Amino acid sequence: MSARLPPTPRLRIHERIRLATEIVLSFARARHQLRRRPIEDVVAVLRRAQAGAPTREAAHTADSPGDLIEARRLGRAVMRTLALLPGDTRCLTRSLVLTQLLARREIAATLVIGARAAPEFLAHAWVEHAGMPVLPPGEASFGRLVEL
Amino acid sequence: MASGTLPDTASLLTSSVRLPQHVVYRAFPSETVVLNLHTGRYHGLNPTAGRMLVALENARCVRDAVSAIAEEYRQPRQAVEHDICELCSLLLTRQLVELAAPNPS
Repeated sequence: MSARLPPTPRLRIHERIRLATEIVLSFARARHQLRRRPIEDVVAVLRRAQAGAPTREAAHTADSPGDLIEARRLGRAVMRTLALLPGDTRCLTRSLVLTQLLARREIAATLVIGARAAPEFLAHAWVEHAGMPVLPPGEASFGRLVEL
Repeated sequence: MASGTLPDTASLLTSSVRLPQHVVYRAFPSETVVLNLHTGRYHGLNPTAGRMLVALENARCVRDAVSAIAEEYRQPRQAVEHDICELCSLLLTRQLVELAAPNPS
């Protein structure tokens, strides 16, 4: 019989506000950097900015199964929060925001950029943890171009 | 767009072509998608041009890529040379490739 992880407790209202604020600030930071640097540098800068930042007391060890659950929870929070904001909140921005949140929590993540050529060209970005998507990945027709 | 003069055909044929680290691509059945991470721009190559790009990347020099493509597609060498040089000029102008000394054989 496999051990089940305890359910993630619902955030209290003040924790939700704090998370939403963190997401909005990360969004502003990502947009600011995207205007000034190529995407590779943006990812590196945003990750470095979070490294060493005070993190909440980690309930999980590095790369624990809980990291994936937490990463997905944060991914959903990023999508919900950014949907309410004006401006470009598309996949690349969402991915950059989540990358920051995960870096801050010392959860390893990869930003993936992919594309498809048919039926029409479309590019897409998403984030993965341990090879598992934590933001909606492209459809099966998307091919990976680069991992950052 | 890159400023400066493009190399003449003779120089081009003896050079090797390489993709900078910030340029990535993936081949699909209908086209090859190239992404320049520095500019954030995507470029599309038809299947033949995509195959030429792979040949250029793998060949010791452009001349060898011409030979490989001419053999693969069973086309006159002169026509292939013209098309590949034209492709190289296009890729250089868009800063998707760089020229270097021939790769060691």
